[in-house]
Amino acid sequence: MSDFPTGVTLDLLAPREGERPAPKFVAAEITAQYEVAPEHFLMRLRDAEIARGEPGQFVMIKPTPGAEVHPLLPRPMAIYRYLPASDEFEIVYRVIGTGTRVMSERRGGERAELVGPVGQPFRLADDLEGLLVIGRGIGTCSVTSAADLAAARGARVYAVASARRPDAIVGVDLYASLGAQTLAVNDAEGTSDPARVEAFVAPLLEARRVQQVFVCGSNRLIALAARLAAPFGVEVQVSLEARMACGIGYCHGCSHGAVGESEEAPLVCREGPVFRATSPPSALSHQLSAVSHQPTAGAEQPMAPAHDGRPTNS
Amino acid sequence: MADRYPPDPRLAVDLGAGLRLRNPVMPASGCFGAELGALVDLNALGALVTKTIFYQSRAGNPSPRLAETPAGMLNSVGIPSRGIEDFLARILPPYLRYDSPTIVSIGGLSIREYWDLAARLDGVPGVAALEINISCPNLEAGGLEIGANPEHVAEVVHGVVQRFHGPVIAKLTPNVTRINDIALAAEAGGATAISAINTFVAMAIDVRARRTVTGTPTAGISGPAIKPMALRMVWETARTVRVPVIGMGGISNAHDALEFILAGATAVAIGTANFARPSAMHDTIAGLSRFLDEERVGDLRELIGAVRYEPFGAETTREHAVAELTLGETPTAEEARQPLPSAPQPGQAAE
Repeated sequence: MSDFPTGVTLDLLAPREGERPAPKFVAAEITAQYEVAPEHFLMRLRDAEIARGEPGQFVMIKPTPGAEVHPLLPRPMAIYRYLPASDEFEIVYRVIGTGTRVMSERRGGERAELVGPVGQPFRLADDLEGLLVIGRGIGTCSVTSAADLAAARGARVYAVASARRPDAIVGVDLYASLGAQTLAVNDAEGTSDPARVEAFVAPLLEARRVQQVFVCGSNRLIALAARLAAPFGVEVQVSLEARMACGIGYCHGCSHGAVGESEEAPLVCREGPVFRATSPPSALSHQLSAVSHQPTAGAEQPMAPAHDGRPTNS
Repeated sequence: MADRYPPDPRLAVDLGAGLRLRNPVMPASGCFGAELGALVDLNALGALVTKTIFYQSRAGNPSPRLAETPAGMLNSVGIPSRGIEDFLARILPPYLRYDSPTIVSIGGLSIREYWDLAARLDGVPGVAALEINISCPNLEAGGLEIGANPEHVAEVVHGVVQRFHGPVIAKLTPNVTRINDIALAAEAGGATAISAINTFVAMAIDVRARRTVTGTPTAGISGPAIKPMALRMVWETARTVRVPVIGMGGISNAHDALEFILAGATAVAIGTANFARPSAMHDTIAGLSRFLDEERVGDLRELIGAVRYEPFGAETTREHAVAELTLGETPTAEEARQPLPSAPQPGQAAE
């Protein structure tokens, strides 16, 4: 569901100097797959170039082998961890529907067709001393590889890992292996309220322990991070999620809609998925239309006109 | 997977008005971009096809714009476009790196908008042909699809043909009662080829959230799920008009492509399948060559329209369809053999 964060301004990251490797279409070997938590799977794949992608990038992975057409579309999956020493990379996903169910039944030795690496990565500051990563649910996969890279560069890593249930929290082991200071919280045990997260995050900002904050997986946490970081001028980068079909910028399925009168909102797959988030809005940036798609159970929905004049094809 | 597929001369086809393709496989508009050039070899394709452009800038529809359905997908992308000048300056140039001809898809919210685009694109280097996307709402006619009204279709096509001096393809919408009528109107308007079909109007509902899954209530469905319906409409179209037909709708591979070719299509387009496998078009081209080898067919053109079937009941032949459209009553045998009516002038109904 591509409901976008409200209350923050999203900007494109400035284009980076230097060539980024173009994405490729490849049938990568699945070198391992196993269940890491109930309904959560880790798949390790081998491709030398994709293994050298950047944190925050993702792959469009076709769940089915060969030419099977159900389910049809590839799924966007953030790269959880890069293992360039063995030309491998890992994705972590939760089984929530047909595609992920099919994926979870793939075995080592099979090949998975995918396009990648795609998307704008997180930009780690050159002189980074401390990085805070905040992830919720499977969205955490976007920030784990950033934490990994930050630690490899000698920065201190702080992490918030949130989820609905304790067994759905992603990344705790990886953060531990980096020596990160981690706050793991979940709804079921009542530990994930914003006040608790704020109590962890605010002191880090006040003490100037972190220069950047990367967030993914929760619009509330994005808004919270942007609000807390604002007085300190700490940069917040966020990775957004959106429904996708092509993943490389030509189908326009992943744009939120309109910005202003007739301008299209950025493509999450190509201009994102990583954006800069600031709070409050500034005069220089685009503010995505804050159309909320949060369903309200039982609330009366306005009757949609039979045809509202908008073309429905692509 | 940017393999080179050696060109097979047995696959060459002619779409009329000088539009000759090295093979009959191209992408469907909206399911392709020059970005794919990074993944696969675009010089192997019969043609390249752009996303539909509008004269003015338009943002497209609110999200969610995509939803998956069994063996298919819904899209309500809403044809975003940054307008004609941005197209010429930024989008078209990368297409020109390739030697496959580029077909530019044009849209409009009024008949006039199509004409203005045609005039602007006339003579632009690298624009080999236009494809008129008539699945756009005609805001001057209550928002109903332009492509559902044969008179408006003939008018749009005729004005485009007057202004763009090159091949003009009319792309039909399936959301009509009788596609034969629309096909004939497009041909009467001067279209040099017909492509069919665009997406069917469809919808899906999230029962827990109690709302439609796409940002607009209805969306266009595409993918393998629609292939049998698309195939039928391409067959109807191809046996009704004389100009070449480009068939599409749910084609994923060479087998699917051959169904459409046997039904009468001179060329085919692959759309949604490109999302699943960027190599779908290339695999299809290779599969066509293999089929010719295995079946010992000397040339692909021998297969165009070669499907056999038993005639049924009140069969609508081309002659009948022409006569019904023009005369409004059951034709005599002699009337049914009259030549094609001439193109109508703008503002006039088809004669």
